[in-house]
Amino acid sequence: MKQRFKVALAQISCLRGDKKANIQKIEDFTERAKKQGAELVIFPELSLTGYVVRDELYELAEKTTGPSTKAIEKLARKHEIHIVFGMPELSEKAQATIYNTAVLIGPKGLIGKYRKMYLPTHSVFEEKRYFRPGYKAEAFETELGKLGLIICYDIFFPEVSRLTRLEGAQLIICISASPAVRRTFFETLTVARAIENTSFLAYVNLVGIEDGLQFWGGSRLIGPNGKTIAAAKYDEEDLVVGEVDYADIGPVEAFVPTLRDLRPELFDKLKEKAENL
Amino acid sequence: MKLTQSVLDLNWEEVKTKITRFIRDYVEKSRAKGIVLGLSGGVDSSTAAALSAMAIGGNKVLGLLLPEKETYNPRDMGHAELVAKKFGIKTEKIDITPALEALEKTIPVFDSEDKLCKGNLKARTRMLYLYYYANKLNLIVCGSSDKSETMIGYFTKWGDVAADISPLMDLYKTQVRKLAEYLGVPDEIVKKPPSPMLWPGQTAEEEIGLKYETLDLILYGLEHFMKTEEIANQLGLQKDLVEKVKKRWQTMEHKRRMPLTTKIQYRTVGFDFRLPHTQP
Repeated sequence: MKQRFKVALAQISCLRGDKKANIQKIEDFTERAKKQGAELVIFPELSLTGYVVRDELYELAEKTTGPSTKAIEKLARKHEIHIVFGMPELSEKAQATIYNTAVLIGPKGLIGKYRKMYLPTHSVFEEKRYFRPGYKAEAFETELGKLGLIICYDIFFPEVSRLTRLEGAQLIICISASPAVRRTFFETLTVARAIENTSFLAYVNLVGIEDGLQFWGGSRLIGPNGKTIAAAKYDEEDLVVGEVDYADIGPVEAFVPTLRDLRPELFDKLKEKAENL
Repeated sequence: MKLTQSVLDLNWEEVKTKITRFIRDYVEKSRAKGIVLGLSGGVDSSTAAALSAMAIGGNKVLGLLLPEKETYNPRDMGHAELVAKKFGIKTEKIDITPALEALEKTIPVFDSEDKLCKGNLKARTRMLYLYYYANKLNLIVCGSSDKSETMIGYFTKWGDVAADISPLMDLYKTQVRKLAEYLGVPDEIVKKPPSPMLWPGQTAEEEIGLKYETLDLILYGLEHFMKTEEIANQLGLQKDLVEKVKKRWQTMEHKRRMPLTTKIQYRTVGFDFRLPHTQP
């Protein structure tokens, strides 16, 4: 397993509903990331289709054995790179049951997927109308260490990131489609999740305008001490590369030993209280 | 939350960037050749015109001056021309009086004493002109409705609100004024009392019964889920007055939506067909 590697944050805008065009863009950004020495390139939430596709989701959703994932697997093989992207995933066992999924692909093919657990359905968001929530936090063993995957609104619930960390993830990847008014929330929470877990956190947000919603970009790689290692521009497409060095975790974990100090008995209480809110 | 004028402060440079980006993006994606908008000489249409020009270039923006004899005011026309000149917008001036008179003659129930119905006819006639130009010249109609008027339904259904985009619709009137100042809309336009120009001497604040400074704070409180009692207490107003504004906001939803139908089939327009508003 590699201790040090470069991560590319591919902050793209999408052509809504046009998977072919979006895969082409994913290819272009992957090539650019590879040229800059990245071994992992991350794309935003629902980057295969765009975010505001509403009822078109039923036509756009695919299984992770489908042609779009296959096309991106081919890309990963060709460029010998790891890719994380977002897609509406059709259930293997049903015909119109869809998940909001982050897919992790390595140079040898599909490694794993995470189905978003917290689906925002308030304000401008209507995800529960379309998606079934996932039931499991996910972290996957790769040549780049264990990678945890979370999606956008999940970041408001520290337990999702925490679970990936307790699974052993040292890099938590958060793909996102966050519109502009929520910028300060994410700027705060990305740092908080990195610090409280003493882990790296890569946040990749969408840009562009979809039905009047302006996605703010601002993707960033944050170190376990909460410092920003690389940051993309606001509001425009961008590709930035930052280095993850797992050796940086040890000193922070000793300095602010949040994992050592975890109190499991509180979690039972949390469960009990949350059930009776 | 404390309801003071400062809650309405925004970063105007950021607002300008967001709105111009939105306009540019919409015009590009719709493959239109530009924008047409009505120019009344008031603060809303002047601001919409300025932002349109900043977004896509004044040479791609056409301002229609659509006066009619009852409400004709040379000062307002002068203001419209001033704004057009300042932001490099093309204009065309059309007197809609003959069209209105022709319409009035052909409506058997026309009542010249009913100034509201007559006024609405004016707003809807202006809409006809804007859409003819849009249609003929492949332009987008840019509306200039603000959030205050849209929330309380102070507009003509299918009239002044009719547009393809309404870039100011998430800004309260007092915020539009501040943005206008920031963009360099002449002071005399920003400071004059707003009027929909439906009949002579009509002013918005007199008709609404509140100054926009107060109305905007009431609406801001409602937007932020505040109770009417709390809003009234903070602003030193009668609770009834705040209730009235709330009621007005709630009962005017019919003016802001597609017409209601009754559900008969599998999927229905306005109910459960949910498609993206725009295509890529």
